[in-house]
Amino acid sequence: MTRHDREDRSSSTAGNVPNPDLLTAEIAGDSWPEEEFDSRGARLRDGVREWWPYYLMLAPGLIYFALFHYLPVWEAKLAFEDLRIIGPNLWVGLKHFAQLFASPAFFEVLANTLIISAMKIAFVFPLPILLALLLNEVRSGRFRRGVQSVIYLPHFLSWVVIAGIFIAALSPGDGVINDLRDMVGLERRSFMTESGSIRWVLVWSEAWRSAGWDSLLYFAAIMSIDPALYEAAEMDGASRWQKMRYITLPGIVPTIATLFILNVGLFLNAGFDQVFNLSNDAIRDKIDIIDTYVYRLGITGGQFSLATAAGLFKGVVGMTLMLGAHFLSKRLTGRGVW
Amino acid sequence: MATRNRTPLERVEEAIILSVLLAIVVVTVQPILNLLAISLSDPARVPGMSGMAILPEGFSVDIWTLLANHPAVQRGLMNSVFITAVGTVLNVSCTALMAWALSRRRLPFRRTLFVLILATIVFEPGIIPDYFVMRRLGLLDSYSAVIIYKMVNAWYLIILIRFFEEVPEELIEAATLDGANAFQIFWRVVVPLAKPALATITLFYVVYHWNEFLRPMIYFNDQDMWPLQVVLRQFVVVGDKAAIVGLQAMNSYEGASQIDFKAFRAGMILFTILPVLAIYPLILRYFTKGTMSGALK
Repeated sequence: MTRHDREDRSSSTAGNVPNPDLLTAEIAGDSWPEEEFDSRGARLRDGVREWWPYYLMLAPGLIYFALFHYLPVWEAKLAFEDLRIIGPNLWVGLKHFAQLFASPAFFEVLANTLIISAMKIAFVFPLPILLALLLNEVRSGRFRRGVQSVIYLPHFLSWVVIAGIFIAALSPGDGVINDLRDMVGLERRSFMTESGSIRWVLVWSEAWRSAGWDSLLYFAAIMSIDPALYEAAEMDGASRWQKMRYITLPGIVPTIATLFILNVGLFLNAGFDQVFNLSNDAIRDKIDIIDTYVYRLGITGGQFSLATAAGLFKGVVGMTLMLGAHFLSKRLTGRGVW
Repeated sequence: MATRNRTPLERVEEAIILSVLLAIVVVTVQPILNLLAISLSDPARVPGMSGMAILPEGFSVDIWTLLANHPAVQRGLMNSVFITAVGTVLNVSCTALMAWALSRRRLPFRRTLFVLILATIVFEPGIIPDYFVMRRLGLLDSYSAVIIYKMVNAWYLIILIRFFEEVPEELIEAATLDGANAFQIFWRVVVPLAKPALATITLFYVVYHWNEFLRPMIYFNDQDMWPLQVVLRQFVVVGDKAAIVGLQAMNSYEGASQIDFKAFRAGMILFTILPVLAIYPLILRYFTKGTMSGALK
């Protein structure tokens, strides 16, 4: 991402501009034409005259970010307060965090979150890579595009819909999976309500939904590999597997690394929408994750302070992971998460 | 790839690769085709249908008629269309204006604003504080809550900024010399140039609004305000069978007594994804062009 780098470099020069308390301190890129405007007032006036239309364009968005992203951070102080119906909330310090860390339920959902994320990285993450490699081996462009246009679809379905599809497909009496099992002589099972299988339902439904779409990123990376490399390898008599092993795979390693690191950065997001819609009373303790726990505690249970504390815990740890992922990615691949 | 004759081994390899891909296609579409078959079958024969079936047994549009006349489904559809339409227009215009301003490299405080916006991706305080903000602003139980709570998506904003940064500076200078102001430049120069990118963002937002179910559940007490996804969730995921074939619908429809949960679920799921299927060709056209593929999901 050369554009990215260029921008970072140019903006780092902002620190060298004198008078950092002025508007100019934040300007990245071109330097200010100093000769014509020697007084601070004139510079400010000119800056306002040039840039006010752009700030008008920014206004709705900036108000939005202030109200719906920064005001919630302020509201999160509820985690340190007791909610009172009459009068201001009572500041109780870390009481709710102490309660949270003393409850076995919290550690259960934390463990579930980590286990489910780990399972998804282990079993779902490699699939789009394999899929892209397979797609790249297809000679007929029409067949390949046909396959691609089908496998991208599930990405655009909501988890409510996918849950509906999986509940139907896994139904013990007449779902396709159990009908197939029946056909080959296996007994029918209720995958949605067995504690031993529900996490695998999460893994496979995630794969069903995202493996196809995620292969797009890898496929684009493969397409950008220099064709001359393949031609040279063919001249040398390289086989399909040798070309895949020594040209294609190395060519997409940076993409794999970036996406892997991003996945680690999002480790605590084990999939709220998915779990929320695939959960049921029989197996809740197996797949309840931090996000669904926060929802149940707060929105359903009305324990707002405790729920906010759990949410803040996730927010802070998630932020640490995300920042770590970003800087690690920049260091390793020269490309950050954003 | 090479045009020389393939060896038998290569032919076998190719056959295996094609079969694996075909199997993946079958796994992707079979569950959906099965639901379609069930929804179009004779209601009396639905209970005995296999999950493997992809063709209807008998033929009947009873389920679809029932769905189209079901009050909860009709309301859900209207709510979804309203929220998606208004929301998307607002999303796209605010995101595009913001992205254009932020793509100007000399914009004062540009870097500060970037950091402040990226910070919202990195740190999320959670759904409870969001809920209290809505309550404080008096937006609970109003459509505005679900329309504006994600008015500008920071990821899409970044995608658009990257795109706008590529707009040739000479075009902007030429328009400025012609006396165009910042808004005219945006509307007459930038927007026409950015049509593919704006179309992509629009489709992202449409899909996002259409698929949203959690915020309406949290922010709306009144079930009449529920969008289709929440209605579907109530029917299919929660399994609220009483709500499914509401008594009034039952009485007004003579074949309703034969309609079972399975058939209704199948029709309802398909009904909810129809609009996504309708815009899917556009999605394929714009999303997969490659221009956006460098951007993260």
